[in-house]
Amino acid sequence: MTRRDPTGPPARASSQAATPTAVQSLWKAYIDTTPARLKFIDAFLAFLVLSGVAQFVYCILVSSFPFNAFLAGFASSVGQFVLTASLRIQVNPENRTLYKTVSPERAFADFAIGSVVLHFFVFNFLG
Amino acid sequence: MLHLPSLSLPLLAAVAAQAAQLALQAPRVTVAAVDGSQLLSEQIPLGHALPAPVALGPKDSLKLTFQVVQSGSQEPVQPHQTFIHFYDETTGEEGVQPVKVNANGKAKFELNMARPPSSLPPTGDTPLKVSLFLGSFVHDPAKYDLFDLAIPGSAPVAQHPEAELFRPRAAIYHTFRPEPKIPPVAISGIFTCAVLAPWLALLGLWAAVRPTVPHLFSPNILSFSMSLAGMEGLLLWYWFELRLGQVLLYGALMAIPTFFTGKSALASIAARRLGQK
Repeated sequence: MTRRDPTGPPARASSQAATPTAVQSLWKAYIDTTPARLKFIDAFLAFLVLSGVAQFVYCILVSSFPFNAFLAGFASSVGQFVLTASLRIQVNPENRTLYKTVSPERAFADFAIGSVVLHFFVFNFLG
Repeated sequence: MLHLPSLSLPLLAAVAAQAAQLALQAPRVTVAAVDGSQLLSEQIPLGHALPAPVALGPKDSLKLTFQVVQSGSQEPVQPHQTFIHFYDETTGEEGVQPVKVNANGKAKFELNMARPPSSLPPTGDTPLKVSLFLGSFVHDPAKYDLFDLAIPGSAPVAQHPEAELFRPRAAIYHTFRPEPKIPPVAISGIFTCAVLAPWLALLGLWAAVRPTVPHLFSPNILSFSMSLAGMEGLLLWYWFELRLGQVLLYGALMAIPTFFTGKSALASIAARRLGQK
């Protein structure tokens, strides 16, 4: 909700910015208002993104040689990201009105089952 | 005891053989030219073929007459099968021509080279060996070599229009994609570190977040966590060693305690959440 500063972030590192940018205030709001458990899940999501990107970069730059291994690893990152993201949406207390029939425990159970099945298929394909 | 029947069989066969044997009487071969003049007329001697080959020109005709009788009694016989066999020894080609024998055993076979029978095999340079086969239900079979027949060579066999398709084709040499090479160890090492680095980032972020897990080691939740860890361990074991049927069976077995511990763990968490709320 902060007005966007057209000049960009100030160059001086010693003083605080008088009008923070939208990204900075978004980040501050995120840090302040998100519960620790959701941040825990978000850390996992960030890890999955980094992991997937690293595998993809290797496949493009160097070699796709054991292609099934690349697919298994990449699919595990992407699939796990999808499952974790859906878990995060469903357990977020602010979304309780959207998910009246799905309790957070049910969401976690779905996440656990989905993860085990995903891992089974990934290990099948890994070779 | 076993020898007596086996010894008696040849004896019986000899007796039977004496009883029914065929013989040829007065076999004669005649060659006539197209104008009717006789070129050759010879009686075939009993027991062996004519010494000299019989030559037939492109328009000559050949006539073979004989009578089939029973040897010994000289009664006329009409055998059930009478064939004239043409055989080329060098190429192995042969042809069979049935001959009609009358009830009084007399038979006549005519061959006109202007209109040759289809039973003549393709011929080359060597003369054909002509023989007579007699077959009968009540007599022993008989074969008589009659004469050698020198006829004009046949035209070469026309090639079947599809014969080209059945010849051996040129050998096929496949070019395969070269085997994929493994990148150098240094690059593999660098990218291994790059792919494992996010784990460090994850641990760092989790350390920064430090969510509270007050009841992590309560029996309910601990047993559920252990069951889940057991399922993941089973999958890891499957990667190393297990076969599909085994992992599915063990997975189904592991799923039972996981289900029940999960139900109780999540129910207790829900109760705590609702109780606090």
